[in-house]
Amino acid sequence: MSAAPGLAPAPTAHRAPETASDPIRLEDVSRVYRLGESEVRALDHVTLRIARAEFVAVMGPSGSGKSTLLQVLGCLDSPTSGRYVLDGTPVEHMSEARLADVRRREIGFVFQSYHLVPRMTAARNVELPLIIAGVAPAARRRRVRDALAALGLASRADHRPDQLSGGERQRVAIARAMILEPSILLADEPTGNLDTRTGDEILAVIEGLHRGGLTIVLVTHDPRIAARAERLLDMQDGRIVGERRLKETHA
Amino acid sequence: MRPADVAALAVESLRLHRLRTAMSGVAVAIGITAVLALTGLGDAAKRYVVDRFSAMGANLATISPGKTETSGSLMAGGWGGRDVTLDDAEAVRVQVPELRAVVPISLGSAAFRYQDRRRDVYVVGVTADYTGLQNLHVMRGRFLPPGDMYAGGSVVVVGPKLAREVFGGEDPVGRMVRIAQRRFRVIGVLEPKGRALGFDYDELALVPVATGLRMFDQTNLHHLMVQASDPGAMPGAIARVKAVLIRRHRAEDFTVVTQDALLRSFRAILDALTAGLAAIAAISVAVAGIGIMNVMLVSVSERIAEVGLLKAIGAEPRQIASLFLTEALLLSGLGGLAGVAVGAAALLVGARIWPNVPLAPSGRWMLASLALALVAGGAFGLAPARRAARLPAAEALRGKR
Repeated sequence: MSAAPGLAPAPTAHRAPETASDPIRLEDVSRVYRLGESEVRALDHVTLRIARAEFVAVMGPSGSGKSTLLQVLGCLDSPTSGRYVLDGTPVEHMSEARLADVRRREIGFVFQSYHLVPRMTAARNVELPLIIAGVAPAARRRRVRDALAALGLASRADHRPDQLSGGERQRVAIARAMILEPSILLADEPTGNLDTRTGDEILAVIEGLHRGGLTIVLVTHDPRIAARAERLLDMQDGRIVGERRLKETHA
Repeated sequence: MRPADVAALAVESLRLHRLRTAMSGVAVAIGITAVLALTGLGDAAKRYVVDRFSAMGANLATISPGKTETSGSLMAGGWGGRDVTLDDAEAVRVQVPELRAVVPISLGSAAFRYQDRRRDVYVVGVTADYTGLQNLHVMRGRFLPPGDMYAGGSVVVVGPKLAREVFGGEDPVGRMVRIAQRRFRVIGVLEPKGRALGFDYDELALVPVATGLRMFDQTNLHHLMVQASDPGAMPGAIARVKAVLIRRHRAEDFTVVTQDALLRSFRAILDALTAGLAAIAAISVAVAGIGIMNVMLVSVSERIAEVGLLKAIGAEPRQIASLFLTEALLLSGLGGLAGVAVGAAALLVGARIWPNVPLAPSGRWMLASLALALVAGGAFGLAPARRAARLPAAEALRGKR
């Protein structure tokens, strides 16, 4: 099923069987925060499918629920109601440890503020997921070296984040996100802190990963960046209010 | 995660705040030093007492008149029964062959005069076997002559301190003295032995027990000391001694205390004292533990975003908890090691300064106090570690709690 899976059918329509091959399926998902007396509906009955190796951009004003969507997709946050099926497995009843396992194996995160650990060198930051996964030190060194080299950071391995430029920091963060070879990359405004030229460089890196077969969901404010995706979702008040297919899903 | 990696990550984050790390480590070190110093003192007290006991002969028991229910009391109180007499002592000697020695002991105090010098002394009536029982040695002259316990010559053996004070530079052996108006010939001077259990052997005047009883118009012995030939014979010998005396007194109106029992109760008392001191010192370790908790809580709130990131890259709550717990254990363990080093050094220095006090660092207490430090670090590090592990990932990434 390579051709335009598009938006899932309306919730009233018949549901797709569990065996459907879309790796990401949200069905009628809501996420409600309680702020004192009031409720904030960060996600409001969202239904969404994302195909394998698809590149989806999510746009919308601040507070429209983009980041919450990304966190639910990345199993960092759980839906208050509705159903999230990741690679054929519903995640709503998974234990914390199980969710951590899913994040480790399936998902890479890239953030606007990089989230590098300041006291660690670039190499150590990239090594961190390997340490958590219990990979042996010799294999870790080799993989970190290769990952940094692939992103043009070979000479920056021993620099700490405060000795790196913004673009370099984001490339370190991408290397870290990719080091365990996930199938999905979730990027929350990855170019938001970068100038146009550096932002384009980072986007080129992400596009390269997409060409390699990675599923990508990218949240952005920048229409120029969003235009590079295959599909564009518009969010407002926790709902997907618009959707455009920009190009056919490759792969 | 591999344990070596957990340790390395913990060291990396502790090194980031050297001052903070050092201060909370020092707090633990002070607590552990206190534990080691105080338990060292308690142990020294115990060693001192045990040494004094072993300065006496082995396999000893004393039989005192009067029955006390509490065993282990040196002075048998109460005065309900018959005297323990010289005849009792002779009966025990004849009828209990397992005993190597039976020494009846009388006690009185009197004025000891030589020429114009006078001193109040304890006059202890004993027999020749007393030297063997108490490991006493004669420095000059000889001890009381062996033989019949009823034989009461007017001879006296004096302690070295008494000899020095009364006779000055003169050799006391052969001098005539007056004790409680009776004339005695000094036949020997003891080697210095010092105090044991509040009794200064160096100040005593030792006379034949029959003489001692007569001098003070006594029939009742102060106590009777018996010595078995070997430790295995002790229980049987004690039973026989009791049987002999009960038959003669028609009641158990005396108290038998074995040296072992006495030593055991002293040990128990001093162990309890040491444990009490350790508990007091442990309070300071607990205070240091609270310091660690404080440092770790600060560390967790400073690193909320880092915890969020760790969750995002797939760290399980258990792994995050173990990272923070390892930091707390490292802090307390390093502080504990420093404390053990300082405490042991303090005891060694103390032993140099006061050679009479048997101070020595004990491996047992060094291990125990190190374990105490780790337990404190673990116990007080647990709450911050759990707090970090339970941070909700999404909020933590935004640096919020």
